[in-house]
Amino acid sequence: MIAEEQQDRAALYVLGSLDANEIAAFESAMRDDAELRALVRELRETASAIALGAQEYSVPAALKDRVLQEIAAESGADKQHSLGDRKVTPHPISWLPWAIAALFLVSLGALLYNNMQLRRQITEMRAADPLIRTSFVALAPAKGAPSDAKATVAWQPDKQSGVIRISGLPAAGRGKDYQLWAVDAERTDPINAGVVHVNPNGTAQVRFKPTDSAHNIKAFALSLEREGGVPKREGPILLIGNA
Amino acid sequence: MAGLKVRLRDETPQQKADQRLMARVAQGDQLAFSALYDRLSGPLYSLGCKMLDDAAEAEDALQEVCLQIWRRAATYDPKQSSVFSWAVLLARSRIIDRLRARGRRLRVITPTEAEQSPVETAEASTAESTAETIQRNEEAVRVRSVLGSLPAEQRQAIEMAFFSELTHREIAAQLEQPLGTVKAHIRRGLLRLRDELRKSYDR
Repeated sequence: MIAEEQQDRAALYVLGSLDANEIAAFESAMRDDAELRALVRELRETASAIALGAQEYSVPAALKDRVLQEIAAESGADKQHSLGDRKVTPHPISWLPWAIAALFLVSLGALLYNNMQLRRQITEMRAADPLIRTSFVALAPAKGAPSDAKATVAWQPDKQSGVIRISGLPAAGRGKDYQLWAVDAERTDPINAGVVHVNPNGTAQVRFKPTDSAHNIKAFALSLEREGGVPKREGPILLIGNA
Repeated sequence: MAGLKVRLRDETPQQKADQRLMARVAQGDQLAFSALYDRLSGPLYSLGCKMLDDAAEAEDALQEVCLQIWRRAATYDPKQSSVFSWAVLLARSRIIDRLRARGRRLRVITPTEAEQSPVETAEASTAESTAETIQRNEEAVRVRSVLGSLPAEQRQAIEMAFFSELTHREIAAQLEQPLGTVKAHIRRGLLRLRDELRKSYDR
């Protein structure tokens, strides 16, 4: 059992609100108390979850490229360091322009090498990790559909099956059903992926398997059709998203 | 004096997947880092926007934190925290450094109308259409719901403690409450948040 005072300190510790002396004393207490360490871990998880309570903002798209370029350059620079350490330099003036040029070429080479490695790793990961083999497609409301309706499809091409999660869709209505379609670039007509029944709260999570194989899916769409579904789309498309 | 019995939650598949990614990042795997970026950048950037109240600075902070994650991946210890928690607390610490550096005191954090409204989910046009996004949105809705259910004084105390660089003493001064009361609010709020989140996961 952990005393309340110690719980107070644990809460303030994970929030970084203790001063240096308090931190030292608390960490010393933690060393001998497995239960206290477990509490701290739990409170860390809880405190970090508070971050999710902040309003969400979209990350600027260009930032990822900048970060990846920077770490690629760092990786390249590390390699250059180990090579550069072995060099002997006779005169600083005469070798400087050549060194700059060489550094540029080495950096370029390192970036190209990293790029090739990344491509190879992508291929390997796609083969090894089921999550990476999964494509995710967000479906947004088409014209005339409820504006808060949305869906996401997780599609596994190798299994030729997927899962769709829907929210914000009203009941299909008497004599109607929602029907999912896989739009394959190699086929003229969308492939029937089955009827989807929406719960009274407007949500659904359904596994689906298109009636025909689809090897080059470019979009998923949800339409409103006659009850029981139709072999070829007739009704209006309510949700659609490009793969 | 009341005591507390700790029960750790089992690691989720997502947490285990994050740990595997982090282990690869520690070995210099840039592709693993790219995947980790996709999972973490949204919440970390939103945290930066919330705390810094400046999108450009939040972007700089995120870039800095990402590079730190890359450089310090080998120091990550799964026994201490999940990858998400490690990254969030690392980001928060860097953001607080920035706040202190610019000598700006944050306004008292109060939930705005926008923040109490349901989370905007990824639009079809954005590249964020992944399962992680759905899961994160659900998690965000859950956290907001649980935060909203806390007594106001507890919620205010833990939000001030988390989203600002104020110490508990400064929070007590700003709220004009005794230090012991503020400490108790933070503790009770966090423990209740933990319990409620656990219940919602178990449902």
